[in-house]
Amino acid sequence: MDFDANKTADSARPLLEVRNLHMQFPIKRGLLRRTVGFVSAVNDVSFSIRPGETLSLVGESGCGKTTTGRCIARVYSPSSGQILYQLDERESVDLAQFDNRELRPFRREIRMIFQDPFSSLNPRLPILQIVGEPLRANRVASGSELEDRVATLLRRVGLRPEYIRRYPHAFSGGERQRIGIARALALNPRLIVADEAVSALDVSVQAQILNLLQDLQEEFKLTYLFIAHDLSVVEHISHRVAVMYVGKIVELAQADELFANPLHPYTEALLSAVPKPDPRLRNKGARIRLEGEVADPSDPPSGCYFHPRCPYAQDRCWHEEPPVREIGADHWVACHFADELELRGFEAIGAARDA
Amino acid sequence: MQPTPTRLDSAADAMSGANETLLQVRDVKTHFFTDEGVVKAVDGVNLSLKRGQTLCVVGESGCGKSVTARSILRIVPAPGRIVSGEINFQQRNGAMIDLAQTNPKGRAIRHIRGREISMIFQEPMSSLSPVHTIGSQIMEAILLHLPVTRQEARKRAVSMLELVGIPRAGEQLDAYSFELSGGMRQRAMIAIALACEPQLLIADEPTTALDVTTQANILDLIRDLQQASGMSVLFITHDLGVVAEIADEVVVMYLGRDVESGPVDAIFHDPKHPYTRALLQSIPRYGSRDRDRLYSLKGTVPHPFDRPSGCPFHPRCDEFIQERCNTVDPDRYAAGSAQSVRCLLYSPDADLYAKEDSKP
Ligand SMILES: Nc1ncnc2c1ncn2[C@@H]1O[C@H](COP(=O)(O)OP(=O)(O)OP(=O)(O)O)[C@@H](O)[C@H]1O
Ligand SMILES: Nc1ncnc2c1ncn2[C@@H]1O[C@H](COP(=O)(O)OP(=O)(O)O)[C@@H](O)[C@H]1O
Ligand code: SF4
Ligand code: SF4
Ligand SMILES: [Mg+2]
Ligand SMILES: [Mg+2]
Repeated sequence: MDFDANKTADSARPLLEVRNLHMQFPIKRGLLRRTVGFVSAVNDVSFSIRPGETLSLVGESGCGKTTTGRCIARVYSPSSGQILYQLDERESVDLAQFDNRELRPFRREIRMIFQDPFSSLNPRLPILQIVGEPLRANRVASGSELEDRVATLLRRVGLRPEYIRRYPHAFSGGERQRIGIARALALNPRLIVADEAVSALDVSVQAQILNLLQDLQEEFKLTYLFIAHDLSVVEHISHRVAVMYVGKIVELAQADELFANPLHPYTEALLSAVPKPDPRLRNKGARIRLEGEVADPSDPPSGCYFHPRCPYAQDRCWHEEPPVREIGADHWVACHFADELELRGFEAIGAARDA
Repeated sequence: MQPTPTRLDSAADAMSGANETLLQVRDVKTHFFTDEGVVKAVDGVNLSLKRGQTLCVVGESGCGKSVTARSILRIVPAPGRIVSGEINFQQRNGAMIDLAQTNPKGRAIRHIRGREISMIFQEPMSSLSPVHTIGSQIMEAILLHLPVTRQEARKRAVSMLELVGIPRAGEQLDAYSFELSGGMRQRAMIAIALACEPQLLIADEPTTALDVTTQANILDLIRDLQQASGMSVLFITHDLGVVAEIADEVVVMYLGRDVESGPVDAIFHDPKHPYTRALLQSIPRYGSRDRDRLYSLKGTVPHPFDRPSGCPFHPRCDEFIQERCNTVDPDRYAAGSAQSVRCLLYSPDADLYAKEDSKP
C-alpha cells in the first residue's frame, strides 16, 4: 500500500517518504520478563511529507501517532520499513537503516517538540543550557557567542532574553512550550515533529503558539509533522491530514477535502464528535456514537480493524482487509465501501461558521 | 443499555422543586500561605447552581478552578485554607449548611462527601488507588454511605460499571486501575463518583486528556445520568467547545475571581467582559479564514505574587481605560441579558468616564 505524493503532477519531491513502516514493542510478563507477545504500534504505514507543508496525524489515544513521529525522528529504531529523507534534488537516504553515528548529521535537521511542556525540560538546567545544548553538543557555538545565539532564539519565540539564567519552574506552560520550540530551532532544522505540542495549553496560549509555529514556518521554510487529537486545531494549521486507527493510516487527504468530504467511516465519526463552540448548534446533526473500545493493537480484529465499531460494516469487512486506494485527486482511503458510502463532512454535521 | 438508577431517597425528590438553588458560593477566598508568601488562588469567587442544571467553570490554567472545587468539598491541601466567604448547600433533608463553616475533618462534611457531593478529579491515575481493584473501590464508597450488605454493594457496583458503559462489568470489577485504558479509567472514576447518587457532581476536567470520541461518550453519559436522576453538575474545563455542548450557566474565571457569569447563550453570543471576548476569539473555528492567524491575547497570566493593581486583567486588556482600570478594582455589575460582569465598562458611572476620556 502506498500513499504516494509523487503521483500528483504538481507536487514537489517529498522531503520525507515513509514506506511500509512497522514498529513492534514486545509485551513482557512475569518475573523473568519473558516476551509473551507484540504490540504493533505502527503497522505498515506509508506516506510522504512535502517540503514546506504541515502534515497532521490524528486519531484516538494509543493509535500510534507518537510512535510514528518517534520513528521518523529516530528516537526509535523501526522494526522494518523505509524512511527516505531527501538530501538534495536527486539523492535520498534511508534513515531507518542508519546507526547512531550515521544519524548524527540528520539529528540537526529533524527535531521534535514534545507534548508536555512541564516534564520535557530538565528542571535542573537554566534556559541558557537547555536551549544552547544542541549548539554546544554539535560544536556550533560556545561562550559568549552561544549566549548571543540563545538570546536571539528566545527573542524569536517571543521570550525575553533576560530570562536566560532562569530555570524552567519559573515559566508558565505556554512559555515552557516556547522554550521547547527555541531548542528545536537552534540548529536550523528542516523538519519538525510536533507531538501534541499545543494539547496541554489553554485556548489563549494555544493560539499564541499556533501563530508562532506558522510564522516560523514561513520565515524558515519549515516542514511540520503535526501530531494532535484536537481536530479544530488540526483543521486550522494543516495542509494535509492523515487519520490513524490502530497503527494504520485509514485516510489521507488535503485538509479542506478531508473535513468537507470524508471517505472513511472512522473519519466521519471523529468529525461528528468534535464539540462545536456554539450552544445554538447543540443537538443539531446527530453525533455518531462509536460503541465499544479502540481495538487492542496486540490483538487486532480480523479484516478491517474498524469493523467491530463501524456502523456500515458488512460481511466482507470481517474477512478481508481493505487496501489503501486513491479515490479522487490526492485523497487516499482504506475502506471497501469508500466509493459507495455517503458520509457527512464537518459542515453537514453542523459545525460553527465564524460568528 | 443504561438502566435508570434507583432512587434511594425519593422523599427528598418530592421536596425539591425545580429551579431551586442547590449550591451558592459567595465571595469565597482561599489562600495558600507558602514560605515565599501568600498565593491568593481564589480571591472572591461567586457562583450559583440550580437543581438539575450544569454550571461550567472556565478559565486559563492556574486561575483557581480546581481550588474552587476543592474548597466546596473542603479538601484544600495545606498550606491552603478558606479565609472568608460562604458556601451554602442544600442537603437532601432540606436543611441548608454553610460548608465554609464546617470542620474539614468533621462529621458533617464527611457525611456530605461522596453521599451528597462527589468529585471526579483532573488526574484519574492519582485519584484511583493502584493497590485496590476497581470493584473494591466502588464497594467501599457504597458501604461507607449506604445501609447495604457487602453482597448488595457488590451487585450495585456491577450495575454502576454497566451504567457507565464498561464492557464485561462483572469481570472488570476485579481489574486494577493501571490495567484500564485512559477512557475506561475515567469511566471507572465516574462510576465511583456516582455510586451513591450524589445531588451534586463536581467534574474537574474529566475529559481534557481524552480524544474526541471518548470525550463525546463521557459527556453523553453524564448527561443521561443527569436526566435520569436530576443531579446537578459543576463542570470545570478550559475547552469552550465542551462548554457550548453541556452548560446551562457559565462562570468565567480570571486570577481567582469570577469575571463574567451568565446563561450559556449570552456568554457565547453576547459576551461582555473583554477577557471572555478574547477567549472566544482565540478558538480555531471551522472554515474561518483558512490558516489565518488566530486572535491571541497579549501577555501571560501574571505570577500569583504580582497581582496587578486595580482590575487584575488590565495589563492584557484591549479596552483598558487609563488612570481608571489600573486604580479601581471593579465590582460585579449587571450587564447584557443576564450577565454579571466585573469590568468598569459596565459600572453605573462608566458613561461619565467615557465622556471625560473623549474631552479634548
Ligand atoms: N498546594 C498549593 N500550594 C501553593 N499554591 C497552590 C497550591 N495549589 C494550587 N496553588 C496555586 O493556586 C492557583 C490556582 O490553582 P488551580 O489548581 O485552582 O488552577 P486551575 O484553574 O485548576 O488550573 P488548571 O487549568 O491548570 O487545572 C495557582 O496559582 C496555583 O499555583
Ligand atoms: N515504549 C513502548 N513500549 C510498549 N508499548 C508501547 C510503547 N510506546 C507505545 N506503545 C504502545 O503502542 C501503541 C501506540 O502508542 P502511541 O504511539 O504512544 O499512541 P498515540 O501517540 O497515538 O497516543 C499503544 O498501544 C501503546 O501502548
Ligand atoms: S471496510 Fe467495512 S468495516 Fe472497515 S470502515 Fe469500511 S465499511 Fe467500515
Ligand atoms: S475594568 Fe478595565 S481593564 Fe478591566 S476588563 Fe474592564 S476595561 Fe479591561
Ligand atoms: Mg501520543
Ligand atoms: Mg485544575
